[in-house]
Amino acid sequence: MQQKLKIYFICGAGLGSSLASQMVAEDVLAKLGMEEKLEHEAISSAPGLQADIIVSADNFKTQFEKFEMDPHTKFVFLHNIVDSNEIEEKLIPIIENFPS
Amino acid sequence: MTIINFIINNILTQSAIIIALIALLGLVLQKKSAGSVLAGTFKTLLGFQVLSAGSTIIVGSLTYFGKIFQHGFHLKGVVPSIEAINGQAMNTLGLGNEIAFTFLGIFIVNILIARFSPWKYIFLTGQALLWMATMTVVGGKICGFNNWLIVLSGSIIGGIFAVAMPALAQPFVRKITGNDAIALGHFCTVGYLVEAGAAYIFGERAKEKHSIEDIKLPKSMEFLQDTYLSVAVIMVPLYMITAAFAGPKYAANGSTNYIVTGFMQGIQFVVGVYVLLAGVRLLLGEIVPAFRGIAMKLVPDAKPALDCPVLFPYSPNAVILGFVTTTIGTVIGMFLIPIFGLAVILPGMLTNFFAGGTAGIFGNVVGGRRGAIIGGVIHGLFITLLPALLVTALTTLGFVNASATDSDTITACLMYAFVFAPILKAI
Repeated sequence: MQQKLKIYFICGAGLGSSLASQMVAEDVLAKLGMEEKLEHEAISSAPGLQADIIVSADNFKTQFEKFEMDPHTKFVFLHNIVDSNEIEEKLIPIIENFPS
Repeated sequence: MTIINFIINNILTQSAIIIALIALLGLVLQKKSAGSVLAGTFKTLLGFQVLSAGSTIIVGSLTYFGKIFQHGFHLKGVVPSIEAINGQAMNTLGLGNEIAFTFLGIFIVNILIARFSPWKYIFLTGQALLWMATMTVVGGKICGFNNWLIVLSGSIIGGIFAVAMPALAQPFVRKITGNDAIALGHFCTVGYLVEAGAAYIFGERAKEKHSIEDIKLPKSMEFLQDTYLSVAVIMVPLYMITAAFAGPKYAANGSTNYIVTGFMQGIQFVVGVYVLLAGVRLLLGEIVPAFRGIAMKLVPDAKPALDCPVLFPYSPNAVILGFVTTTIGTVIGMFLIPIFGLAVILPGMLTNFFAGGTAGIFGNVVGGRRGAIIGGVIHGLFITLLPALLVTALTTLGFVNASATDSDTITACLMYAFVFAPILKAI
């Protein structure tokens, strides 16, 4: 069996909006019959994360650019972090084509 | 009988176990696998204990800060922090059980209202519900209610707020997001409405309205979106300056220099907030999805009310502008409000960023740049006035040097203190 991907959802405090985004993504994955490992965290902890994919909002993009992130981590930045269509459009192709 | 008594006296008085049992119930109701139920229940239990540990760190740091502030400025300075209030209420005051049951009760009342009324909002910001449960329990305590009445009144009032606040914010949220798909579930909504009102009165209208999003802001402020960094940026200098005024006699710890002690204690405060919120993350990571699953089944056309950063990507400049203007307002308030005989409320950075930023979006959408600037300052004054009104009531209950933030939770608690308590006394 293929190993599950570790996908982290990131926001300022790692409490509210990242969890909201994670819950929507769980629904999207369930709808497509996919199963990955989903977690949520604060941006302060992001540089140390061993993540396959990081999902966050547009407004955090410049901050991630300043961090030394794990080079194999892929990024997804969303305009509306709880829009299931946007999550499906941007996240699913990255999961399917991982790790390229 | 002995066994039942043992369970009541030793197990059901442990707040961590109560909360874990609530999570267990939610997970079983969702028909999760045995492994997920076990993991979720354990994570919740662990989360509560981590939260308690964070609370102890915060209280230690605040006690030090209270001491040096008093000796440095001969004034009582209060740090508004809902995290500190929650930690102290759960642990020092032993209200953990009441808060846990009220938290559950608010869920239930929220679902009932959404099911049987035209307002289909399901409040999904777990930590905000936890703060609301905390403040209604504290309010019940102020009124001298017994435990049952505390939980019952807290559940009903909290449940009403959980539907009413997203409903009140929705006309603005529709304008901001351009659709009706999501709602705002963040208990600072009274403050947002104050900012929107001020922006309407003082802001730009119709043709002369210019959105702040049309100009480019410096990128250097963006690091403030990092919660813990933004707390540190204010708290650490605040501790150091206060330590400098208090002098070595009060601020030093043994042979350690007094400024260094202030610096380390300031860091310690941020550590406490970090640990406490990590506990909340563990605690709610299982409960909120469980609640959502149940609510969505019972209320088919439910609209999820979500945490405020969901709106940030729609109007990032307004967030920064709202943060800066709210902070200016809170600093003015710190000096202005004591003139009226109220406590000195220091600017609370977490709220200034999250509530201030969201308020900025409201101000900008209603009254353009001028609306956001004037509205932001008024918002800052407003969120300084509310905790100042609350201080006396909290101090009599035994809270150390702290007042709450989040305008709606304070409004709920003030209802208890200024409406229910006097009525009860009159009867």
